[in-house]
Amino acid sequence: MKSTKEIEFVTLVQEHQNLIHKICRLYTNSDAEHKDLFQEITIQLWKAYPKFRGDAKFSTWMYRVGINTAISLYRKSKSRIQSFSFDDVSYKIPQTETYDDTQDQQLKSIYAALNHLNDIDKAVILLYLEDKSYKEISDTIGISEVNARVKMNRIKKKLKTQLNP
Amino acid sequence: MDELELLKKDWQENQKFPKLSKQEIYALLHKKSSSIVKWIFILSLIEFGFWTVLALFMKDTEAQQRFDSYEMDHIMIPFMVIGYLILGYFFVTFYKNYKKISSTDSVKLLMKNILNTRKTVKQYVLFNLVFIYISLVIGVWIEMDKNPDFQLITSKFTETNEYLVMYGIVALLTLLMMVALTGILLGFYYLVYGILLKRLKKNYKVLKEIEG
Repeated sequence: MKSTKEIEFVTLVQEHQNLIHKICRLYTNSDAEHKDLFQEITIQLWKAYPKFRGDAKFSTWMYRVGINTAISLYRKSKSRIQSFSFDDVSYKIPQTETYDDTQDQQLKSIYAALNHLNDIDKAVILLYLEDKSYKEISDTIGISEVNARVKMNRIKKKLKTQLNP
Repeated sequence: MDELELLKKDWQENQKFPKLSKQEIYALLHKKSSSIVKWIFILSLIEFGFWTVLALFMKDTEAQQRFDSYEMDHIMIPFMVIGYLILGYFFVTFYKNYKKISSTDSVKLLMKNILNTRKTVKQYVLFNLVFIYISLVIGVWIEMDKNPDFQLITSKFTETNEYLVMYGIVALLTLLMMVALTGILLGFYYLVYGILLKRLKKNYKVLKEIEG
């Protein structure tokens, strides 16, 4: 029955929801945008769910659909998303338990630098931060493993340049 | 690179996101319900346009011209105005339902809005049926009173003191027309709104199942 399938889908999404939040965190700059993208990804996942055959892990499939949705939405509203404000960035920085002002400032700068990466680079760094192997990164984004490594090296350089001009 | 390691550590350890419940996640999918309600609103407008165009085409027919010649505007105009006012109320309600359903992210409200929309559509169909019945009764009454052919038949029945038989026949024919119109209209509304209402009902059931 279709309703059983919907419940199964909702249960899976609820279990893996942090994954969607993480994509939203990287691709959006405000609470409203975060919510919008979260909803859009959930809807796209539901639309694509009948095609999910279980060949890949559910989380890998979610990353793929989620990143594709974020990128297509990001492309549609590129100008809006790029005009971030410092306040928006600070809203997204989680509070560390042991408050360290220097580290906090450093993190703010890193997150701000991430914001300047292009959509594909954001996808690469997201999976890198999630401790995915280059093989998994390449499978999820649909690029070769070598290309994933090259991109990651370039991202590191870009970030370094931005953080230490 | 130190910064990247710091970022990775922060990314993996300090992720505090709101935990959405199953109901809330299902509510995110409610765009389905909101688009159904949007279609109900659009269809009601298209339907109104359809009946208006049909009425315009009927304007030049012999039957309509004969009816107009009875000069019953003092009854027909207020009747039509009331009809349009009630239709206007339904359009506004359909639009409000759509606005409410597309802006809510609460499951309880979503369920309430689905029920409200279904109720409004049912009331709308009921109103249209009642309006058609009243139009039919008024139409038959005016025809009996003003149509020379009808008056001729009436006088014949009155002469033989069988006017009760005549009224019985008229009542029976009116009733048959009502039954036929009910069938046609309900069939039409089932095709236009019935399928959408079924989908809304399905969404409602799933919401309830998740909530339970």
